[in-house]
Amino acid sequence: MKLHSEIKSHNYLPGKTMIVLTLVFSMIALTSSMKYKSDFHMSDTADGVKKDSIESVKAFMKVYEVLMSPRCMNCHPAGDAPLQGDDNHVHTMNVVRGPDGTGLYAAKCSNCHQPTNVPGLHTPPGNPKWQLPPANMKMVFQGKSPRQLALQIMNYNLNGHRNKAQLLEHSKDTLVKVAWNMGEGRTPPPMSYSAFVNVWNEWINKGGYAPKQ
Amino acid sequence: MENITEAISLSRRKFLKNSGLTGAALFLGFYLPVSAKAGRIITDTALNNLEPEIEMNAWILIDTSGKVTLVDHRAEMGQGSFQSVPQIISEELEVDLANIKVIFAEGNQKKYGSQITGGSSTIRGSYKNLLTLGASARELLIQAAAAKWNVPASECYAKSGHVFHKPTGRSFHYGELVVDASKLEAPKNVKLKPRSEYTLIGKPLHRRDTPLKTNGSAIFGLDKRIPGLVFAVVERNPRMRGTLKSFDESAALKIPGVKKVLKIKMAVFGTYREGVAVVADSTWTAMKGRKALKVEWDDSGFTHMDSADIYSQQEEALKTNEGLSLKKQGDPDSMLSNAENKIDIMYQTPYQAHACMEPLNCIAHYQEKKLEIWGPIQAPDWVQSFLSKEMNLPMEDVVVNMTFLGGGFGRKAFLDYPHEATLISKEIGLPVQVTWSREDDMTQGPYRPGVTYHCEGAVANGEISAFKFRMAGQNIDHWQGTERGKPNSSTTEGFLASYYDSIKNLSIADVPFETPIPIMWWRSVYASTNGFAYESFMDELAIAAGKDPLDFRRSYLKDERVQKQIDKMEEISGWKNRKKNEGYGVAITECFSTTVGQVVKVSRDDAGKIKIDQVWVVMDCGWYVNPDIIRAQVEGSIVMALGAATIHEITFKDGLVQQKNFYDYNMPRITNAPPVELYIMENDGAAGGVGEPGLPPFTPALTNAIFDLTGKRIRKLPFDLTAI
Amino acid sequence: MISLNVNQKTYQVDVDPNMPLLWVIRDIIGLTGTKYGCGVAQCGACTVHLNGEAVRSCVTKVSRAEGQKIVTIEGLSANNDHPVQRAWQEIDVPQCGYCHSGQIMSAAVLLRENPNPTDQDIDEAMSGNICRCGTYLRIRKAIHIAAEMQKTKSNTGQTKNSVSPVKI
Repeated sequence: MKLHSEIKSHNYLPGKTMIVLTLVFSMIALTSSMKYKSDFHMSDTADGVKKDSIESVKAFMKVYEVLMSPRCMNCHPAGDAPLQGDDNHVHTMNVVRGPDGTGLYAAKCSNCHQPTNVPGLHTPPGNPKWQLPPANMKMVFQGKSPRQLALQIMNYNLNGHRNKAQLLEHSKDTLVKVAWNMGEGRTPPPMSYSAFVNVWNEWINKGGYAPKQ
Repeated sequence: MENITEAISLSRRKFLKNSGLTGAALFLGFYLPVSAKAGRIITDTALNNLEPEIEMNAWILIDTSGKVTLVDHRAEMGQGSFQSVPQIISEELEVDLANIKVIFAEGNQKKYGSQITGGSSTIRGSYKNLLTLGASARELLIQAAAAKWNVPASECYAKSGHVFHKPTGRSFHYGELVVDASKLEAPKNVKLKPRSEYTLIGKPLHRRDTPLKTNGSAIFGLDKRIPGLVFAVVERNPRMRGTLKSFDESAALKIPGVKKVLKIKMAVFGTYREGVAVVADSTWTAMKGRKALKVEWDDSGFTHMDSADIYSQQEEALKTNEGLSLKKQGDPDSMLSNAENKIDIMYQTPYQAHACMEPLNCIAHYQEKKLEIWGPIQAPDWVQSFLSKEMNLPMEDVVVNMTFLGGGFGRKAFLDYPHEATLISKEIGLPVQVTWSREDDMTQGPYRPGVTYHCEGAVANGEISAFKFRMAGQNIDHWQGTERGKPNSSTTEGFLASYYDSIKNLSIADVPFETPIPIMWWRSVYASTNGFAYESFMDELAIAAGKDPLDFRRSYLKDERVQKQIDKMEEISGWKNRKKNEGYGVAITECFSTTVGQVVKVSRDDAGKIKIDQVWVVMDCGWYVNPDIIRAQVEGSIVMALGAATIHEITFKDGLVQQKNFYDYNMPRITNAPPVELYIMENDGAAGGVGEPGLPPFTPALTNAIFDLTGKRIRKLPFDLTAI
Repeated sequence: MISLNVNQKTYQVDVDPNMPLLWVIRDIIGLTGTKYGCGVAQCGACTVHLNGEAVRSCVTKVSRAEGQKIVTIEGLSANNDHPVQRAWQEIDVPQCGYCHSGQIMSAAVLLRENPNPTDQDIDEAMSGNICRCGTYLRIRKAIHIAAEMQKTKSNTGQTKNSVSPVKI
């Protein structure tokens, strides 16, 4: 692949340039990403935007701030237990990811997390798809440097097998959006959702470069 | 009872209905102390036309078909009275536990003696009466049979609900004897079985309430329904003692289903708290209505406490105030001032919520000067007499029914929630169930008081040369109206009396401390906090003396039963064979006439965190009924103690409680429960408590074990077990 | 009107669609085995099966359950003899008993999905259910017993009563 070698020469992005923001990859998404995998060609003028490593990295650093905020990171933990709260403490009740990310046995995410938020403080935030990344594609944010996280998101084999278009689309996923609507008392990510989509798109469209550190 | 001459209809008929008796029935109602007047007969026709003098609050009821109903006079809040009370009566009555029915008593102290289910008193406070009751009824039935056969009673014996004539093998079932038995005078001085002949007592029999609790059929307070019931929740002054300035109910009343909004004022021991009640057609509708209220409070006239102030005031008082003496022997003060190495330590324990799984709730039905209560109530007799006084009703017009309790731990012996429900019912003229939200339950108190202890001591030649113990914390008795200016007699709770015989220079004093925060018994009461101070301090003295902590205690606790107990602790815990990288801690406390010793073993797990590997418990509770119930109580006490030691703290800010629900007052979970091994000492001592005494020694045994492993002393609770 | 299928019976309930399923089950349908403990999915006392999952009914709007299959503790078995119930009876797990409707409903899901759970599996499945009486050691043991009962289908119909000793 052209892109592949190009990026390698820049020594920025190993492997396939795929990204995923979130939390979750449904089986449908996985299947469809396989289908489109070979269709993806990033070029200098993809979507009419010129590649620009400096601007791309700059945009990613803003993306990073969002991804490392509790609203995103808490479901992308280093371990198998989700985190809670603005202080990223380990989720009480000993809940764990489970093979497909939806929890285990009598402790499945959707047992408490409803399709919508429950009114009041300290109630479970809601989303119809609430879950962690699956065990075979953990997409860890916690503890990752900007460079590590960018590389991980760009890695087709780690990002849920998403091509560029799917990555761009992914920012519109309901489970991404939920970070900005997590019920009472939870600090939202450090920028608005639309600002986030802008920097996300800018990062990817300008080449999906990873910072040096 | 002699002076009940009115008001028989409602509750008495219902009592018969509940007990399911058919045909004529013998009611054996014994008074306390057990007197000769025993049997009463009631016939079919009389069921609808009860004779006023008939003793309805009997403990044993037998109908002509032989059906036996026994009454549990105490609350069942998990501690097992629903099994253990009938297990005792049946032993002497000679009936099969599988074929009897058990019902809860109504509140009535004259009939049942104290019913307050606290102080681990269900068995130790009643067992002799219950045994005598069962034996007296059995003897009456034997006498009746002997008379029918015209044979000496000595030729007859009772078994499995029948009286047999030994020589001929003839028999009557109890139902065939009730009419005759009811005409006899109850025997005096019945002979009780020796322990060696028990077939039920001492056996780990299944609890009869278990099946009810595996299919949702057990009726807790919150599950009770009566015809016409409406539902209420209450917005109460969040500062627990404050009053109501004003409220706007207009938005709440617009919610479909909300029936009424009213001001109420409920008793909180000697004072009152005000709130706004929302009455609706369902609890959830009432909750919605409550959210729509606008309320202004008046919080003047009392101090709004901060936790930090509470503890600094306690510490300050303990530095300067010698307090009110409870015990003094020798001259600890001069020994301390002459001591080369004085040990001077403060320990601190936090306020605790009871946090029963079933939040507080109560049904009240006030009608035409009669009041009936249903609820999860630890003290039905107290509720009866309190509401009789508060509502100005004769005692017999206040009927208090217990349901199963979803936990009690002391909280449900408080009288505020039945009072509140009563006031609402009276005002609206309907039966009402008042439900407290989890947040109400957590934020409104009363709490176990937070306490600071000042322990000073010295060792010389490997022995304690001075032992000085002072406590500063709120006195629960004061809330119940007892005289101030006297020392809190509970300051010695938890401490083994045997120490007094061997520690020559010793003083124990209470430094009075008050706040406006309502406080109440919490499982094992002051022993739960004193035990931590006494037994941590004893450990520190042992280390200072250069002695093994278990041997050190053994050298002071000369009581023979305690010596045996310590030997057993040493044996089952393998105390002498402790390995490297294992921390062992010991503590022994006394609580409600039962002495419990615990050894805790800790180590570090692969991640370097402290892990509780094992808890060994040796309990000396004297005479006991059901060892499996005891085991369950000990297992549960340890989990409750673990939460209190490592997680729980109620804190105050500007007079407001800061914890609201399990998200900020989290409970130990299944992962946290340590393995427990229990050994019950066998002896002929009088019955001690079992529901609470397993709790106090756990925390000091744990922190002493942590010291043994890490060299780190924990003197303030709660502490973070994961951060050591 | 909302149509609910609870324990294989259909109920038409005229309630606010935002009303939590817990309160509909308890106060409208009248099945009180499902308990209110915290109201915010912290304690598990309100656990019911919604399409087989151990859902916390206190935060589940009744609208989510419309047309779905709901099973409460009253409907777990016809004769109080689901292996989990029998195991609970076998070693007298409950003390006050208030949390055990929820505990049992959670354990039933665990054993359906994992017929041979390890201690760690039990910890992971059951940590969302609080027991203030601290019956956790017995809950763990009873789940192992239930797993055995489920395998061997033993003890069917044998009910425990207060004359038989607890095996300890």
